[in-house]
Amino acid sequence: MRTLAIETATAASSVAIGEGTTLRGMSVNVDSRGHVGFLVSAIDHCLANAGWKPEDIELVAVDVGPGPYTGLRSGIATAQAFAAAVGAQMAPISSLTVIAVRAATGRRRIWPVVDMRRGQVAVQPFRPLPGGVAPDGAAEVVDPDDFKAILESEAGDSLVVGDWHCLPDATWTGLHRVRRGRPRFPSAETMLEISDMLARHDKLTNAEDIRPRYMREPDVQINWSTFRSEGMWPDG
Amino acid sequence: MSGPIVLGIETSCDETGVAVLEGFDVRSSVLASQVDEHARFGGVVPEVAARAHVEAIRPLAHQAITKAGIHPDQIDAVAVTRGPGLVGALTVGYAYGKSLAYSMQRPLYGIDHMEGHLFAPRLAFEGYEPPAVVLLASGGHSQIVHVKAWGDYEILGGTIDDAAGEAFDKLARYMGLGFPGGPAIDQESSDGDPSAVDFPRALRDRPYDFSFSGLKTSVVTYLDKARDDGSLPSRPDVAASLQEAIVDVLIDKTFNAVEATGVEVIGAGGGVLANRRLREKFQEEADRRGVGLFIPSPALCTDNGAMIASVAVDRITDGHEPDPWTLDVDPSMRLGS
Ligand SMILES: [Zn+2]
Repeated sequence: MRTLAIETATAASSVAIGEGTTLRGMSVNVDSRGHVGFLVSAIDHCLANAGWKPEDIELVAVDVGPGPYTGLRSGIATAQAFAAAVGAQMAPISSLTVIAVRAATGRRRIWPVVDMRRGQVAVQPFRPLPGGVAPDGAAEVVDPDDFKAILESEAGDSLVVGDWHCLPDATWTGLHRVRRGRPRFPSAETMLEISDMLARHDKLTNAEDIRPRYMREPDVQINWSTFRSEGMWPDG
Repeated sequence: MSGPIVLGIETSCDETGVAVLEGFDVRSSVLASQVDEHARFGGVVPEVAARAHVEAIRPLAHQAITKAGIHPDQIDAVAVTRGPGLVGALTVGYAYGKSLAYSMQRPLYGIDHMEGHLFAPRLAFEGYEPPAVVLLASGGHSQIVHVKAWGDYEILGGTIDDAAGEAFDKLARYMGLGFPGGPAIDQESSDGDPSAVDFPRALRDRPYDFSFSGLKTSVVTYLDKARDDGSLPSRPDVAASLQEAIVDVLIDKTFNAVEATGVEVIGAGGGVLANRRLREKFQEEADRRGVGLFIPSPALCTDNGAMIASVAVDRITDGHEPDPWTLDVDPSMRLGS
């Protein structure tokens, strides 16, 4: 299945095309603000090199987060429009899964980390399986102290991967059963493997079912004292 | 009328708009308004707007194409607002439109939102041609533009602080009339006397500029004092009076520009131009002076995809190059620069 994978959930965005799990082209961008300038030109570059046309794509895989929102929405809008135009199916994939799949571990429980900005991270436990990983709990957005408490309460050994570099150094002090490792960011190339597996398990979907995983309510600052004012007329 | 078939997408603020044009003929124009979502916060919240756009854009694009009665293959080009506006909101529409254009192998035209408003009267009137003076007034912008030719613009003046729509929102909130303020004050004014209170028409010495923040301060000062000494007029009277002040300023400054440039064509657009009193008084003044005034329907004055597509129709007809795929949104885009 000719697949386009779009990854914009973190500071490093990437695009990959492949035939099943076989990579046919890839492009990476490390400027976290330039998603919209990067994506389509990167897709164009990959397709042109492979000698493919947009309508050759049968499956569009997209990272739906968690991750910073503007990046997520750039990737999702790009993926949805592409899939709608060429009639491709879609594979929504979690950023945490993409990172966890690449973590090199034998038996340790894997904790991928995504920087959610404002001092918070998204985390989720995965357990290693032969040839892959499986979620071992729900994803959540936590403060560094909370994440430390979670790791302290772990009975076995843990491997923290992803963008743990954004956490304060104090997070790691006194944690003896925790190791830190790679990868730091999710990659579109890895998404080809995951989408291929989803396709083989009949787990593909259509553009209308793709939603960003925000995991936080929008920040809204309301000056309630003025907003709730009844006005100065008795009937206000 | 015939011409290129253009899909237009607008997501710069709190309305998702998609339209299909054939030349300047509107084949379809659909809108998902977020007004109710923002009303509970008393104003437009950027993150709420961006979330709503990403929900609305795909079904709306589908709906616009279906309503236009065309096959997607018939689309000749895609036009999308590139700026100015809220970065998160712009990003959704521009990413969607760019990817759609690319995957259909069609050219993409990134459009200045304000130029879209300048063009909107072309969708409704034959005689709207430069040279013209155009008043653009909305919740985000208030400008007077000298249109020398299509694509050749000089900004003569505008607000030095709040936009006209912002003034309506803030004053409506102060008076307990809710959000959005423009329609609320328009409604409340129906039974009011516009001459009940003589609010100042500020900046007499700057012919094309306005200060709505100044007006807001004087209204608030007046109301606080009137309440204290028990002389507060009825709310409809206050609404009608402050609406009259905003309307007068917008019209006076526009006609100052008309006189200075000697043009005989006036255009207007932006959400504030949906105001009934402004439309009525503007027309009276234009008739009195014998100048052509072109204000499209309220649906074409507020943000929509058709106005964005119309700019691209002009670009294509003139043989302009489309956007390269490497472009990103430009939230601080400025007309004429
Ligand atoms: Zn506007």
